[in-house]
Amino acid sequence: MRKKKIWFSLLVSIAVLIMFACSSNGTSGTETKDGKTVLRFATWDTGESLKIQQDIAKEFEKENKDVKVQVEAYADGFDQKIAASFGAKNPPDVMYMWDFTTYSQSLEPLDSYIEKDTDINMDDFYEGLFNYSKVDDKLYGMPAGFSTMVVYYNKKLFDQYKIPYPQAGWTWDEFKEIAKNLTDKSKKQYGFSVTSEPDTYDLQGLVWSNGGSFISDDGKEIKGFINSTETVESIQLYGDMVKEGSAILTGGKNQQSASDIFKSGKLGMLVSGVWPIQGFKDAKVDFGTVMMPAFGSKPVKGLISSSSISIAKDSKQKELAWKFVKYFSSEKAINMRTADLPVRKSVVEKNKVMENPLYEPFYTMLENATNSPAFLLNKNWNEINRNLSAAINAVMVGQDGKPLFDKVVNESEKYLTKD
Amino acid sequence: MQKGLHKFFVYTLLILLSMLFLAPFIWMVTTALKAPDELYQYPPKLLPSTWHFENFLNAWNSQPFNLYLVNSLIVTVLTTIGQIISSTLVAYGFARFKFKGRDFLFIILLATMMIPWDVTMIPQYMAFNMFGWINSLKALIIPSWFGSAFYIFLLRQFIMSIPKELDEAARMDGANVFQIYYKIYLPLVWPVIVLIAVFNILGTWNDYLGPLIFLNDQSKYTLTLGLAQFKGVHDVDTNGIMAVTFLISIVPLILFFLAQKKIVEGVQSTSLK
Amino acid sequence: MKTDVGVNAEYNPVYQKKKKWNKIVPYLFISPWIIGFIVFTLGPLLFSFIISFFDWPIVGEKKFIGLTNYITMFTDDPLFWSSLWITLKFALFFVPLNIILALLLAMLLNQKVKGSSWFRTFFYVPSVISGVALAMIWGTVYDGEYGILNYLLSLIGIEGPNWLNDTSWALVAMVIASLWGQGTMMLIFLSGLKNIPQDLYEAAEIDGAGKIYKFFKITVPLLTPTILFNLIMTIIGAFQTLTLALVLTGGGPLQSTYFYAMYVYENAFKYFKMGYSSANAWVMFIIILSLTMLVFKSSSVWVYYENEVKNDK
Repeated sequence: MRKKKIWFSLLVSIAVLIMFACSSNGTSGTETKDGKTVLRFATWDTGESLKIQQDIAKEFEKENKDVKVQVEAYADGFDQKIAASFGAKNPPDVMYMWDFTTYSQSLEPLDSYIEKDTDINMDDFYEGLFNYSKVDDKLYGMPAGFSTMVVYYNKKLFDQYKIPYPQAGWTWDEFKEIAKNLTDKSKKQYGFSVTSEPDTYDLQGLVWSNGGSFISDDGKEIKGFINSTETVESIQLYGDMVKEGSAILTGGKNQQSASDIFKSGKLGMLVSGVWPIQGFKDAKVDFGTVMMPAFGSKPVKGLISSSSISIAKDSKQKELAWKFVKYFSSEKAINMRTADLPVRKSVVEKNKVMENPLYEPFYTMLENATNSPAFLLNKNWNEINRNLSAAINAVMVGQDGKPLFDKVVNESEKYLTKD
Repeated sequence: MQKGLHKFFVYTLLILLSMLFLAPFIWMVTTALKAPDELYQYPPKLLPSTWHFENFLNAWNSQPFNLYLVNSLIVTVLTTIGQIISSTLVAYGFARFKFKGRDFLFIILLATMMIPWDVTMIPQYMAFNMFGWINSLKALIIPSWFGSAFYIFLLRQFIMSIPKELDEAARMDGANVFQIYYKIYLPLVWPVIVLIAVFNILGTWNDYLGPLIFLNDQSKYTLTLGLAQFKGVHDVDTNGIMAVTFLISIVPLILFFLAQKKIVEGVQSTSLK
Repeated sequence: MKTDVGVNAEYNPVYQKKKKWNKIVPYLFISPWIIGFIVFTLGPLLFSFIISFFDWPIVGEKKFIGLTNYITMFTDDPLFWSSLWITLKFALFFVPLNIILALLLAMLLNQKVKGSSWFRTFFYVPSVISGVALAMIWGTVYDGEYGILNYLLSLIGIEGPNWLNDTSWALVAMVIASLWGQGTMMLIFLSGLKNIPQDLYEAAEIDGAGKIYKFFKITVPLLTPTILFNLIMTIIGAFQTLTLALVLTGGGPLQSTYFYAMYVYENAFKYFKMGYSSANAWVMFIIILSLTMLVFKSSSVWVYYENEVKNDK
């Protein structure tokens, strides 16, 4: 008798679950049950930044009562999810984007929308940002947020060793000297950290600052660029610091990263974007930021990591999508984005961002970011980059750069002209 | 004397290994309890200086985890039931009958496990999109009602080691094949079914890629997608990851503790008495 | 419902109709899988096979290029060979170690001890922790400077290597980390061990058999169906090892943990060459399939299903 009761309640609960599963039918269509139009918006941001974006979406909904913005947060899985949904021809209407060379064919060019628009005020954006979302002179994304690379330094360690805080205009020779002085192996304390598998993208600022480059400006040559003395020298700089022991070699994705070591107070200096700032504050590190050092008297060049938002070509509601994109990069929305750096000059001025010494160096670097990164210059850069990464990784673990980079050129030149 | 020594040896080994296997779990829990400025220290310290139990609550409340929990429960329960019903049927078919093309079909069954999902994901997405299952839990549930190679293979191995005399005897008593399956084999392989249930619950509960690819809207997310939100492209919320990983592993751990007694009963213990 | 389909009926011409029915029955049993296979699996499989002859970027123009993908792979892509070689090396260590370890642990748990429920649960804990957290824990364990493992080693005076950043240790670290999550195989073995009738052991004890004799003459032979299962699954698993490498080393240092599965994955989702990636996958398929067939063919020699054993007597 009791057994029957158990079976009965089990059956009932299964039936309920099935009902749940079926009633929770997806809104993969473009309308919700109460007749609102659904706009899909995919982002890779998490935590505080994601909350802010959800708030912006809600504000947008307030002004457009018949629209529901479906914020899709894919975090670390963003690239794979976007690739799969583009591959299956079911992309979100609007999405965060960085890899414009890969996806430009499936994205909607925004130029005609901007031309028609009267109140978008394009001059208010930092000019350099558009460089990163243009392919063949067509604009595929509106800037939403950005970061440049700066040097973070641990004030406590500098005080302890009586080293004055670094100032804008310093050089790599000074940097190396400081790193050496801050290193104390017996305490497992290091002046600087180098990752063994760097993203070649992140190293470009360093390379440009030494007058080098990975690729010619027209994107047609790598010989004499990847293996030029300037390029090799700048990469070798990092590798040599590891070899000399004044920099610690850190590992891949989920291993203890440089910012973790910085948090533990065992790292003097760190090169990074704006992202770990909040984490450093939470971990109660006393730190400062300063612009990147120069190679002698050569000008320092900045590198931008940008988040832009784009519209899918396959979207069935492009006008609405544009409305959202425009809203997302409007002064009002940018003003709400307190977790990263504002892309509009008016917002920077209004919020006195430049008066915050922690944020000021990022904008100095932004002004110096005039070069185009390699991946935008040649559509087969991915292939070349595969070889280049391998060579750079080898330099980081102590091998000699020059022959490796020559080899990269030999093995990769065939990709330059491949269509 | 020798017996006592043997016992001592076994217990020592069991306890040492348990410590080894539990260590990361304990590390995870204590990390979740630490303050952000204590996460990274050298030499490593196991225990936090102050215990931040509120970390668990904060992490759980930072997203609609209750909703994710309901979604995960729905998917897990329904896939597990589906797997048990379909996989036992199919395994019985492969293990107990001789029929044309059996070995060939069985190789195909195994072969489906040998192609990585990377290359079939996109066409599968297209198919599910055609069925209208994208952004719906159906995409995760329905395929499991058609059996999975791993479970079918496992069950087949166990069914094949059951003496055939059993069903011959049952046939003499006038039972048909379905009754033999239902009345004799199912109870006999019950421990393996529990084993499969354990594997499937755990696999579904921890599945990340499936939900990532097939679900879009946050209201459909499962626990793992919520968990992944703690790891951004640039920054990682270590407290959050550790706390939520611990919280969501409680359910499968309790279930496992309840199920393991059944698993070790053995397939034939009932039949031979 | 007809209930008289007996063994003898098969030989009786009167029961022709039932004979036909008997022929359909097995297919009915396996029909769920067949339907599922046709609806969910076959299409995508064919699709990926066909596009392996195409230049098929995820976005952009698709082009038929015949065997070019396969030719490039074998003649002009050093990563193909190196990733294949690394995977084989990994499998060579991982497969036997995994099976032996899982069996030993299962036998240990099979002892009659107090609190065995707890021990079984403790041993299974590593398999319950998922994804990111596990990778992060291994990251803190293996770190060269600040890692727990090297800290413990330093306490006994050994200077540990920089595990994940040292080309000669990274693969070893991968094998260890993978072995640690062997709970699934262990449980299957445990279940198999419980499946062995106790009376066989008792009978052997009466004959005065020792422990080693019992292990090799009773335990191992009766466990062979389970061993076969675990062997095949471990081989398939070893070739598809991806997650740990992806989240822990990203294939490095210097591609020393760049597994074949990672090669397939990156070609698809980092380099967006779906056609090439499919070709990679099908080559891997052929390799795993041949290994599996080999194991299966050999299994008629070393695997005993109990009904066969009894028939032999």
